[in-house]
Amino acid sequence: MPAASNSEYAIEVRNLDAHYGERQILNDINLHVHHGEIMVIMGGSGSGKSTLLRHLLGLNTPTRGSIKLLGQDLAHNSEQAMFELRRKMGVAFQGGALFGSMTVEENVVLPLCEHTELDENTMRIMGRMKLEVVNLAEFGDLMPSELSGGMIKRAALARAIIMDPRLLFFDEPSAGLDPVAAVELDELILRLRQAMNITIVVVTHELESAFKIADRITVLDQGMILMTDSVEAVRNSDNPRIQSLLNRLPRDDAIDADEYMERLTGI
Amino acid sequence: MECTTRLENGFTIIALCGEVDLHFSPKAREIILKHLQDKNHVLVDLSAVTYIDSSGVASLVEGFQHARTHDLKFALVGVSKAAMQILQLSRLDKVFPIIANATEAAQL
Amino acid sequence: MSNAAQNSGLHPAIRLVENIGRKTVAAIEELGYVASMLAESFYWLIFGRRQQQPVRLRNVIAEAMRIGVHAIPIISIICLAIGVMMAIQGIQTLKTFGAESKVIVGLAIAITREFAPLIVSIMVAGRSGSAITARIGTMLESQEIDALRVIGINPVRYITAPLLLAMMISIPALTILGDFMGLLGGGLYSIIELKITLPIYFERCAAALSWTDISQGLIKSLVFAAIIVLVSVSNGFQVRGGAEGVGRATTRSVVMSLTFIVIADMIFTYFLNFA
Repeated sequence: MPAASNSEYAIEVRNLDAHYGERQILNDINLHVHHGEIMVIMGGSGSGKSTLLRHLLGLNTPTRGSIKLLGQDLAHNSEQAMFELRRKMGVAFQGGALFGSMTVEENVVLPLCEHTELDENTMRIMGRMKLEVVNLAEFGDLMPSELSGGMIKRAALARAIIMDPRLLFFDEPSAGLDPVAAVELDELILRLRQAMNITIVVVTHELESAFKIADRITVLDQGMILMTDSVEAVRNSDNPRIQSLLNRLPRDDAIDADEYMERLTGI
Repeated sequence: MECTTRLENGFTIIALCGEVDLHFSPKAREIILKHLQDKNHVLVDLSAVTYIDSSGVASLVEGFQHARTHDLKFALVGVSKAAMQILQLSRLDKVFPIIANATEAAQL
Repeated sequence: MSNAAQNSGLHPAIRLVENIGRKTVAAIEELGYVASMLAESFYWLIFGRRQQQPVRLRNVIAEAMRIGVHAIPIISIICLAIGVMMAIQGIQTLKTFGAESKVIVGLAIAITREFAPLIVSIMVAGRSGSAITARIGTMLESQEIDALRVIGINPVRYITAPLLLAMMISIPALTILGDFMGLLGGGLYSIIELKITLPIYFERCAAALSWTDISQGLIKSLVFAAIIVLVSVSNGFQVRGGAEGVGRATTRSVVMSLTFIVIADMIFTYFLNFA
């Protein structure tokens, strides 16, 4: 691998708190991801997993705590260092976030155009190679609006890996896909890790996909980490919240009558 | 990251080494294309390559394409396991002529 | 929410003052945001290449096509029509003094100094300003702006700076077109009423005009261009709440652009003429 890893962890999150206005979204998050590991961040909607992802990507600034990617602290990084770091990370967004004014191929090679001085022909070949990897070879000339949901996710993945990143983030890879397409995408993630030895962080609420691809799973609930452990350990956990998530049971919290009445009546 | 080239049995053997990444692959591309433009048959030796990224592979693809259109021979030699996995990812292992060592080049 | 709860016990007058205070702070905040965006855009236009993050000429040309070239037909028609209207009104008014031949002086100065830059800017604000807000708002909603940022592409460099440059080229260029079409419209009516030929009409226009008239219009058009870009882009980046939010921001963007254009026009006209 290039530029020998100078830190123990690929991702290091310490005591992270995040607020949205007055509301606390993340509460004392601590998380370590090893090099070459596939870490799945799992949680229901409103668990704060999307917010955590935004912080990992450096899109939001935490109220407290620190995030290190590849040994570099996001909060204390110069603009230039951040720019360099961005070359080493790829992100596939939930809805693809492909640029509507460009063809699929132009979307895929955009990071190359912005970060490198490669020959145009080389860039084109690289773009097409990545489209081959995600099985979209014939669709490079189409506009994103002409693609199906699964194809958009794969095109977004192609764009995310165009720079051969060392860190790959994938937001909800299987959400909204039919089962076959979802399984294909999981296989693709595993193949990518094997061939390129990337550290991959997947945010998802889909259990099957999580169990299939994860080395370790972090379960997030109401802004807190319930546990971070191997697939087996999460599966066998006796934490009731995790069990209800695994068995898709509705929440069954104990109700505090006074507090509940206060919420309803405001008195 | 030095490239060495030598002539052997009518082939120019270009030995790449170290990390063939975004910084180095434009140079590798230039060397490969130059030898092909001089109408040489080319073997690219990857045995000393510790890491090759997709820009490196793309340069090899360009070289191979140039060789095909100009009726020249082109093959990869000494492809390491890591490099092979990168090739397999985009199924290029089934496209490039890949040989174990330079002596096999005679059969191309 | 918590603010509303805290406020509810206060006297209405205090609440009013507090609201005014809040709005003022918000407005100043927005002004600061817009000013920093303007500075940042110029920074990228000037130093971007040195940082190996240039403003792409391709993007500038694409925007200039959308803002400028595609607006040529509509600007031509409207400025021509306005020229005709002004000639009709001018000649009718001046007839009472028997001074209808002086209409050409009025036309030439009013169109170059005032109407061409104003009409062009209003048209572009309506046509492109709203489109820019909607486009950026949609990009924000679909996480395309986030995607730009994680790729390491500064959105100001990639979106705002090319827009600003394209707008500052397109609007003055369209203003020159508007000058010509407006004068032509005035001419078409005047030659009938005043019984002169078109070449003579244009000769008299040229005699009535000085460079300051035309440059005054062009300077104003540059300012209007900056207003349109900054207002529409900043509104785009502030979109919240899906498709409905995009719609609201678009309306706000156009109304704000027009208001600022007219106010800026008034201020500039005063200073360019008396100061």
